[in-house]
Amino acid sequence: MEDDYLTVSQANAYINRMLKQDVNLQNIYIRGEISNYKTYPSGHSYFTLKDEKSQIPAVMFKGRKYGLKFRPENGMKVIIKGKIEVYERDGKYQLYANSMTEDGIGDLHVAFEQLKKKLDEEGLFDEAHKKEIPKYPQVIGVITARTGAAIRDIITTIQRRYPYCEILVFSTLVQGDMAAHQIVRQIRHAQQYDIDTLIVGRGGGSIEDLWPFNEESVAREIYACEIPVISAVGHEIDYTISDFVADKRAPTPTGAAMLAVPDINEVKYKVNQLNERINKSIKDKLIQNKEKIDNISQKQIFKNPESIYEIKEMQLDNLIGKLNVASKNIISENRNKLIKIESRSVLRKPEEVTKGKREQFLRNVDKLKILDPLLTLKRGYSIVKIDDKVISSVKDVKSGDELDIKFDDGTINTKVI
Amino acid sequence: MQDLSFEESLEQLEDIVNKLETGDVPLDDAIDEFTKAMQLVKICNAKLNNAEEAIAKIVQDNGEIEDFNPNMK
Repeated sequence: MEDDYLTVSQANAYINRMLKQDVNLQNIYIRGEISNYKTYPSGHSYFTLKDEKSQIPAVMFKGRKYGLKFRPENGMKVIIKGKIEVYERDGKYQLYANSMTEDGIGDLHVAFEQLKKKLDEEGLFDEAHKKEIPKYPQVIGVITARTGAAIRDIITTIQRRYPYCEILVFSTLVQGDMAAHQIVRQIRHAQQYDIDTLIVGRGGGSIEDLWPFNEESVAREIYACEIPVISAVGHEIDYTISDFVADKRAPTPTGAAMLAVPDINEVKYKVNQLNERINKSIKDKLIQNKEKIDNISQKQIFKNPESIYEIKEMQLDNLIGKLNVASKNIISENRNKLIKIESRSVLRKPEEVTKGKREQFLRNVDKLKILDPLLTLKRGYSIVKIDDKVISSVKDVKSGDELDIKFDDGTINTKVI
Repeated sequence: MQDLSFEESLEQLEDIVNKLETGDVPLDDAIDEFTKAMQLVKICNAKLNNAEEAIAKIVQDNGEIEDFNPNMK
């Protein structure tokens, strides 16, 4: 029957439906090695996942790849979580990868996160505990493998930047089971030397390669180290526990050398700058002081010291002048007084004064003469007295009284009838 | 003063420069400080100019120290 025949599409669709019904295939964990890895312009990546005996085509769509923590390459062993379905156009089943991690490191990631959390909680990453890296070190210690790019990069960088300090290398294994133990031992060993800064690290590698620097023993030894430690493990993107616990983390060994020593040219420039600044400041200071001195010496007194005497002499002259005037005044004042006294007439013409006085006296004598009763008697008047009392009225006289009548030339006694 | 490390010399030099630039240092003191600074500059420059190639040495486990050239295998 014609109708019993399926088309190819129907067959593939049917098979696909069957696969999609299988819970295990829809959520599969599969481990293998990448080969034929190719990314198309669409951004989707196609590859084959294989083991020694078998292989399966695989695809990882662009949108799934954002979660990748590494760049997949041929030969890498990976673990893929995804589903298996049919690609109906080609009639082949394939693995659709949802996520992919490097094989073997899943456990390590867990261990890493656990240790990181534990040490963080213990305070091993605290900023407060971190020591300052000396700016101008004299001896740099390096704990790494004596062969390899890391030690070469560190030494050439230090020699180029700051060719003053000695470099002491403490060689150690930097990968494998023995490495952590050796690193710990060398950190202790290095502390017996007079070292300013210790660089601990290695070049790039897989997470397993870098693993010794994620060991608890190494982390604790770095924490306990009395020398400031710069960690330099792997590349820029690699972070290890050592990085968190070290006093400073460098992205690479070269970076560690750059953190450990300054650039000689910058240092020379700095010393020059300081030299210039100190010269300028002392010059300014001297100029400042010179100006002060100039200012003071500009004053008249210093330009012309004799002016001190001149001033004093002037003052003296002034005083003498005043004294002269004052004494002259006193003399003339007194002279004027004297002249005034002298000019009084009594002194000038004493005879006039006496003459005046005599005339006045004579005038007074004449006045007295007029009043003299005796003169009146001469002119024919007489004075009547009773018992020496002058009688000037008839009423004072009665009959029988004895009267004394005084004339100019004598007195007569009579009796009133 | 000769015993100072480069870092100490540079630090002291910086201190003096800052002091002279900002503080009111009396002239006599300033001249003393200046003289000291000049010595420090001399020391720093002497140390900078006496640069020899940084020597890399390797410390063996037994404590022996040998010259080390990372380019030689």
